[in-house]
Formats: sequence, structure tokens, C-alpha cells
Amino acid sequence: MIKAVEKPVSHSEKDKTVRITIDGRSIDAPKGMNLLEVARSNGIDIPSLCYHPGLEAFGACRLCVVEITKPGWENWRKLVTSCLYPVEEDLIVYTRSPEVMENRRVVLDLQLARVPNSDVIRQLAAEYGIHDTTYTKRKDADNCILCGICVRVCEAVGANAISTLSRGPDKYVEVPDPEACIGCLACAESCPTDAIGWHEENGIRHIWHRDFELVECETCGKPILTQQQIDHFVEKSGLEERYFAKCDSCRKKETAVSISRVMF
Amino acid sequence: MSEQVAEKTCTCAEKFNGTLQAIFDRYPREESSLIMVLQDVQEELNWLPPEAINCVAENLNVPKAKVQGVATFYRAFSLEPRGKKLVKVCMGTACHVRGAGMLVDELERRLEVNAGKGMSPDGEFSLETVNCVGACAMAPAIVVGENYYANMGPDKLKRLLNKERES
Ligand code: FES
Ligand code: FES
Repeated sequence: MIKAVEKPVSHSEKDKTVRITIDGRSIDAPKGMNLLEVARSNGIDIPSLCYHPGLEAFGACRLCVVEITKPGWENWRKLVTSCLYPVEEDLIVYTRSPEVMENRRVVLDLQLARVPNSDVIRQLAAEYGIHDTTYTKRKDADNCILCGICVRVCEAVGANAISTLSRGPDKYVEVPDPEACIGCLACAESCPTDAIGWHEENGIRHIWHRDFELVECETCGKPILTQQQIDHFVEKSGLEERYFAKCDSCRKKETAVSISRVMF
Repeated sequence: MSEQVAEKTCTCAEKFNGTLQAIFDRYPREESSLIMVLQDVQEELNWLPPEAINCVAENLNVPKAKVQGVATFYRAFSLEPRGKKLVKVCMGTACHVRGAGMLVDELERRLEVNAGKGMSPDGEFSLETVNCVGACAMAPAIVVGENYYANMGPDKLKRLLNKERES
């Protein structure tokens, strides 16, 4: 009788979790989750540049490479990008093998040639023992590593304003139609190398060749959002415009006051 | 959203004598038609003017940024006006070692145009370099439209251009 009850449970559990080994440690993970997330949620650090937990993995930067093998593979190993690799039963993973480290060094060496002024990349490269690139540095280099996060974030926000233009060594990130931009800063905030410049002054936010007037919080007067942002959020969320009239901290204060009125 | 697309009437399509409208009618109005539509638009107009790109975005309901990204990604698309005929000089290995570089120099001089940029002042020609047209035995080769010119030399270019002007 017990068996009859237990069987379906253990069966479905088996379907959902897999046991893998990362750097000698045995780990249970949800089947199909990407290797990078699994490692990170178990405290194992794998560097990444183009991965963003809120977006579909892209596999552009190749920094998250690890080596994998399986019991039946007779010691044959291969390199994979962990952000794109779904975990499966019996997988054996090496995140810091000599092969992995060498590959990451090449990636960082190349990145350093592309963005020689980026502190993020310089620091990361230094951690891998690279203090100067062995390649020719890009002239007039900005800090963009073409990870595509801004493009994908903008798509997720629903503004679809950013795109990579051109190809190969001439490829760059741009907002070809500034009208589409809502000035929300999602791209700038999620850029791993702080490559997207913006600033705010006297209630005006400047980003992507465009000035946005900021709407002030109706309670404290602090500039909070652009009107374009509000219009966009109202359209996408169905919330009323009033919902965006106050800044976060004023709204929290008000909630606290009304709760205390009810409670005490 | 899809009803919106069906009803969309844009003024941009009229700009090109309704020719773009005919192209849009040939394909489902969705993102997967993008490249085919752009190809047809370029075939029609000989290049992709900014208004046409916006018009494509509107009619396929694809963000302008994405259309711009695709249009600039493929070398086959030209974002500048081009001459009536495109002169392609092969710069593949075989043609290169047999002096294709000289052909480019001479054509740039004769047509008063830079390779890969703009068109000759009379609007007849644009010049482009390509990498191996699969005619290495004829190196150095030049292709104009459907016509292949074999064993080219700087001295033969005047005749080539005259012939192409007439046809
Ligand atoms: S994080 Fe995996 S390739 Fe960039
Ligand atoms: S190199 Fe010119 S045709 Fe092959």
C-alpha cells in the first residue's frame, strides 16, 4: 500500500530534479535550469557579462564557459557556455579547470582590446592575470562590449527602441528612432560596463540624444518619472495614471500612516 | 494588435506611387517577412531610403529599431542612393593577386566615385568590391548586373563602361 502511494511521487520528483557534480560537489538541481544559475545558487561563482537573470540567455560574451563531461564519455570533455546549457542527470562540471581559465583569459584579453577604458573589464581581466591586452586596442573606444543586454531589456520593457546597427567590427548599439525611447533608464541601469551615458539636471533627464522632462512627485516634489514612461506603463499595465503620481518613498509613508490608523 | 495592422493605412506607401503597398500585400504582415520585404523594396527603389524603412516598420508592425538593425546588418542592403548599375570588382584572392586593386583605383577615377559609397555624378554607376564571385579562372573579374567581364585590366575599363552605358 505504501508503495502504491509513494511511487508516483518519487517518479515525478525524479522527472523534475537532476543530480550533477560541480567541481567535485554533488548538487541537486531543477531539470532544465541553466548551469550558470545552478552554480550560482549553490555559491559557485562563474563570471558572466551578457547574462541577465530576467532575460533569455544570449550566449554572446563566452565568459561563462565551463567544461563538462559525463560518466560514459571516457574522460572526453567539452567546453560549453554555462548560461545556455540546461542541466541534465549525471553531468560533471568543472568551472575552473586549466582549459576553462585559458578560454576566459582569451575572452578577457579580447574584451580589453575592445574596451581598454572600462574599469569593470580591467578589474575582471586583472583577476585572470591580464593587465594589458596582447591585441591592438580599439581607437576612441567607448565602454560597450556588445553584450546585447540593453537591446533585450528595452525589448522586455516594450519600448523596442535600441538595436545593434551594422556588423562585424563596425557593429554598435544605437537608438535609431529616439521617438521610441521612453527615457526609463532600464538599458543604462542594466549595462554591465556602464557604457550608456545619461544625466539629470533641473528636472530634465538626458539619454540617447534626447531630453525628457521629469514629472514630479505630487507630494514631495522630487522628480521621478518621464511622462513617456508613465504613458507607456499605463498602456501596458492598465493601471491608472494616478498610480504613478507619487514617488516610492511618499507612497510607502502614506501606506504606513493608513495602516497605523487601522491598527492603533 | 493584429486588427490594428490590418487597418493600417499609411501615407508613406503613397509616396512611392503605391509600389510599396503592392510589396506588403505579397507577404504576411509579420516580422518573419522582414528580409523579403526589404529585398523587394530595394529592388523597386534601388536602395532603402529612410522613409521606406519607416514604412516597412509601420506596415509589418516591427519596431523601427529592428528594421534598421536588419537593414544595416546585411551588406546586400544599401542605405544610400545607388547608381542605375552596380559595378562589382572582385577582390577575392585570385583576382587580388592579378591586380584587382588597380581596377578599383581606375574605376574610382573614371567614375568619380568611391568603392562602396555613393554613385557617379551622372547617376549611372555605383562601385563595390566583393570577395570571390566564383570565377577565379577569369581573374581579375568584374561583374555588372548579369554580365561577367573576364581577365580585366585597367586599359579595358573604358570599353566596359561604354558598353554598359549603352545597354
Ligand atoms: S554569460 Fe554566457 S555567454 Fe555571456
Ligand atoms: S577571387 Fe575573384 S572570382 Fe574568385
